Amino acid sequence: MYCIETIDLTHKFSAAETALNLVNLRVAEGSIYGFLGPNGAGKTTTLKLILGLLKKQSGEIRIFGKPFETNRVETLRRIGSMIESPSLYSHLTAVENLKILQKVYGCPKGRIGEVLELAGLARTGSKRAGQFSLGMKQRLSIAMALLHSPSLLILDEPTNGLDPNGILEIRELLQNLSENHGTTILISSHLLSEIEKLVTHIGIINRGVILFQGTLAELVNKRRQNSFIVFETNDDARALQIINDFGLNARIESGRVAIPVIEKKQIARINQKLVKSKIEIYQIGKIENDLEKIFFDVISE
Amino acid sequence: MTFINSFQSEWLKKKRSLASWLVLAGAFFTPLIILIAKIKNHAALAALYVSDDFWLKAWNQSWESMEIFLLPVGIILATGLIAQIEYKNNTWKQLHTTPQAFTTIFLAKFLVIMIMLAEVFVLFNLGIYLSAVIPSMIFGDVPYPSAPIPFANFWNANVNFFVDCLPVVALQYLLSLQFKNFLVPVGAGFAIWFVGIGLLSWEYSYIFPYLHGTIDFLMSSGQFGSRKIPPVNIELLAVIYFAAFSLASWFLYVTKKEKG
Repeated sequence: MYCIETIDLTHKFSAAETALNLVNLRVAEGSIYGFLGPNGAGKTTTLKLILGLLKKQSGEIRIFGKPFETNRVETLRRIGSMIESPSLYSHLTAVENLKILQKVYGCPKGRIGEVLELAGLARTGSKRAGQFSLGMKQRLSIAMALLHSPSLLILDEPTNGLDPNGILEIRELLQNLSENHGTTILISSHLLSEIEKLVTHIGIINRGVILFQGTLAELVNKRRQNSFIVFETNDDARALQIINDFGLNARIESGRVAIPVIEKKQIARINQKLVKSKIEIYQIGKIENDLEKIFFDVISE
Repeated sequence: MTFINSFQSEWLKKKRSLASWLVLAGAFFTPLIILIAKIKNHAALAALYVSDDFWLKAWNQSWESMEIFLLPVGIILATGLIAQIEYKNNTWKQLHTTPQAFTTIFLAKFLVIMIMLAEVFVLFNLGIYLSAVIPSMIFGDVPYPSAPIPFANFWNANVNFFVDCLPVVALQYLLSLQFKNFLVPVGAGFAIWFVGIGLLSWEYSYIFPYLHGTIDFLMSSGQFGSRKIPPVNIELLAVIYFAAFSLASWFLYVTKKEKG
């Protein structure tokens, strides 16, 4: 069962501006789903629709297997969220901010101390949230999202404003929640490098359209598919002809002949044939696309 | 249980907020001014404190500025500030992702405003009493007021004045929930109130929702002059306006397309 499933979700802010177009997001239960896309791609709009912060126009949203619209309160009871910038009452302390939510969720008072400890804010005392650094605000927001021990956590760019150490702490915290508590996590980011070590699944969105969705392994496999061998020669046209005789789909790219990744022995055979054909070979290399490059390739397709 | 929890949660938010300070300032401002004036002119107080209508005079003197000026201004500001707690802190989105029906959130906030208004009334009445008795505690020649406090009259007047305020509260709440910019509900509130003051001498001024308190006070204190007495029950009219504005406010709030 999918924890979150959107079916043909479409949203327009105006007749001319389609923010989301037939988005079919599928977040498996227990997964850590990285929702990637550049700024303005439609990530926050999708998350706001999932949480009911935007009125749905077209399509369907199912959370925990049930339509969200008709089960809003019951569904939200099991969700913790943080959308965009931290939402805190700046005139109140960290404890007071959590107390507001503790009343609403009806969770034990002891949870306040637990999540403050978890977020590293246990010693903030009477300091008001408005006086916190951005990192502290971000951590308090995450503590607020975790207060009622939700089974689904939706975090929109949660590492914004955090230093590298803070990012690492958040990553460990989320990993712990996923592994030890089975929490499903949907986390959005515009940087793949920031979440690639954390997520099990990835969805890439750009201009309101989902361009890739699958497991991290599938994306890594896509990386392999996007790797190729290049031959730098003095006569690319003839080299292309010779290489294609091996039944390979060679192409000239940036002044080099590129072919899909093949076995080393076959590279040697091609090399011998090119040498015999009196073609000068200056370099043979392997080009590997990293995940970030694939991400940019996907969104620029 | 859910509503009580929601209300408690909303109540916590006003701690140390400007709105909660406004309640104290609004309630004690006039009594404090009156007290200072009495202390300054204490020589003339002895005769006043033995008069039979001492409490009525003290009441009218205190309510005059409160009902005509401070209460409308206070309601416009405090109602706006309660909604601003969410706008200023960017917390509407957090609030709207909690497991509460939108109607529950709407009513919990509304109740907080109502209770704050009731607080103003209670503290203001206390202020009237204190501004009356403190001079007799300070100055030996000023006796404790000999006239009995007309509790029943004051209670009825309090209830009427409270009901008169309700349309202002409901319309200001509607405006405050709809506009992110604090100046819009406050500016609109002041504009409506100013128009109302300008219309006060008009024969049909009682149909103007922001004037019910003023008209009620002027009538009850015998300062309505030659103006025509409204042909309808002002409190009933206020309740009708209150119901209409509240319903419209609720409808606009729950059907808002973007909630954070």
